[in-house]
Formats: sequence, C-alpha cells, structure tokens
Amino acid sequence: MFNLTEEEIQRYARHIILPEVGGAGQEKLKQARVLVVGAGGLGSPVLLYLTAAGGGKIGLIEDDVVDITNLQRQVLHFTPDLGRHKAESAEETMKKINPLVEIDVYKERLTKDNIFPLLEKYDIVVDGVDNFPTRYLLNDACVMKRKRRVEGGILRFMGLIMTIDGGSSACYRCVFEEPPPPGTVPSCAEAGILGAVAGVVGTLQATEVLKLITGVGKPLYNRMLQFDAEELSFHEVKAQRNPKCPVCGENPTIT
Amino acid sequence: MAGIGLDAEKDSKVLSFETKCREGEAQTLSLVVQGKKVTYRGPADMRSLLESRGENTLYANVRINGEVLNRRDFENIPIAEGDEIDILYFMGGGIVQPD
Ligand SMILES: [Zn+2]
Repeated sequence: MFNLTEEEIQRYARHIILPEVGGAGQEKLKQARVLVVGAGGLGSPVLLYLTAAGGGKIGLIEDDVVDITNLQRQVLHFTPDLGRHKAESAEETMKKINPLVEIDVYKERLTKDNIFPLLEKYDIVVDGVDNFPTRYLLNDACVMKRKRRVEGGILRFMGLIMTIDGGSSACYRCVFEEPPPPGTVPSCAEAGILGAVAGVVGTLQATEVLKLITGVGKPLYNRMLQFDAEELSFHEVKAQRNPKCPVCGENPTIT
Repeated sequence: MAGIGLDAEKDSKVLSFETKCREGEAQTLSLVVQGKKVTYRGPADMRSLLESRGENTLYANVRINGEVLNRRDFENIPIAEGDEIDILYFMGGGIVQPD
C-alpha cells in the first residue's frame, strides 16, 4: 500500500504507529529534500534526527574541519575525527545511523554565487550557520525563492528558533532588519555556549522540519521562540511581516 | 550590582536603581516585560529599563506593544505605563565575515 520496504516499515515503526504520521507521513519523509547549512552545534542534532527519521534526501553544506573545541557540543563528530573535514565526518556518522538516507555533501562555504542553484534542489532549509553575513544571505535567498526555512541561533545559555515560510510569514529581517554592527554581538567562540543548549535548539529545529514534511501540527510561523536555559523557560514573541522589511516588505530593496 | 534592588512580590518585581536616577527623573511604571508583569522604577527610557534588568543592551533588539523597533539607540526610546516589551536577542554566530 505504501511505497516503503519491509525494512523501512520496521525501522520507522514508531513513526508509522503515530496516527498523525502513519505510512503516508513516512513516505513523505522518504520523498523529502532538506538542505542543512552547517554541520556544527545546531547542524549536529538536526542531521542526526533527520537521518534517523528517514528524511529521504539530505543536503549538507559545510566548509570547516573538526577542531577539538567543537567536540563539547557538535555531537556528530567524534574524537578520532579531529582534523577531518566536518562534511566527511558528518556523512560517516549519518550513514552509520541510517544507510537508507541519501546524503549530498557540499564541502564549500555558502555564498551568493552557489546559493540559488543549491536551493533549487531542496524544499526545506535549516539554518545552522555560525555567522551573521551567511545568516542574512540565507534569509534573503530563501524569501526570494519562497523556501520554507527553520532558523536557529544560540549564544551562552540562550537560544532562539523561528520557522519561516519565505514570502508568506515574517522573515528574520522582519524582526532583525539588519545584522548587528560589527563588534556588538559575540560569537560562541568569544562568549561561550553551554553545549546542551545547541542540542535543545537543534532538536527543536529538527522537530519543526519533521512537522513541515509530514504536515503535522502548527509550524512556528510568525512566532519567535526564545529559550533561556538559566531560567529553563521559553518565551514566545509574536512576529509579523514588516511592511518595511527590506526583503519581504512592500518595497523590497534587496532583490 | 550596586544600586539595583530586587523586591520580589507575588508576580511582580520592583526594580529600582537609585544610583542612576536623580531625584525627579525616576518614574514608577507597570509594564509587561517578556510576558511577565513587572513594576519598574527608574527613568522612562529603554536603556535604563534594560540596564536595570542586567540585560546586555548590545545584544538586544526590542519590540514594544507589537512593533519591532530596529534601532539600538535605546536611550532615545521612551517607555510608558502599560507598555508590553519583548527583548529580542541577536543570536547566531559572531561577526566573522565570510571570505
Ligand atoms: Zn521580512
């Protein structure tokens, strides 16, 4: 009845038994095409869960090598992977988890030159980048191509997550119009990050992707969820399309 | 932090920081900050409110009564009785420029 093999039916039995997912939902996962940008702190849990869930085709773009300071939170990579390209190390771990998933590996940095051809190959994008210029590039391109994207960010003991239906729901620039001025917002390297916070936020991103693919529940559109590990609390902020947004507003200046 | 006193009441906090406030400048305002009702005592500008909470204003963007203010000159943003204020944090890496 469903286009799933006997092995797939067994492997994904705990999904299939969920009435909201079922065989039909698992088949959607098998057909899904998801691009994950970055195989670091956020990309690790995202890639682990998407792979385990049987998310059909997964694209992974990363241009860094595994450094010893990564291992405290980037759980895709192991101590023997030190010095290896993160894309290779990630692919190896993913194949061990689930050899049924198709993995496209791009050992490069996301730029304005490669982003559009790359986006054409995928339906959903996950942001696991570690710097603001790439984050804004990804936001703008996904809005222009009307891609659905799950945005995530972490710093110290805090995280944020927001799901964006490019061109329909509030985008990252609707909330944060311009990147912060250089020197004002530190990186995780400068300010630190509690490792498990990356796990919380990345796992929420993976949950959103699985929901988007299967159509289960209500995506985090027009809402930004802030996580505070010190208080162990979540604060939801309503976000609206900003008519003055430079990319999705009435008179976009970024085109 | 010197000069910042926290008196927890039931659901509200009284935030005062006398060292910053000259006599006459301070106001007492009922606000909703991050979804929680608070009573704030101090100058009626956003920077003073953020500083009274120990927030790092460098990281933050703010939303007042549903409108996101994409500006960082918090000292020039007035706050008023009843305002609902969300503090939005920039998170997501640093300032490292791609090559
Ligand atoms: Zn926008």
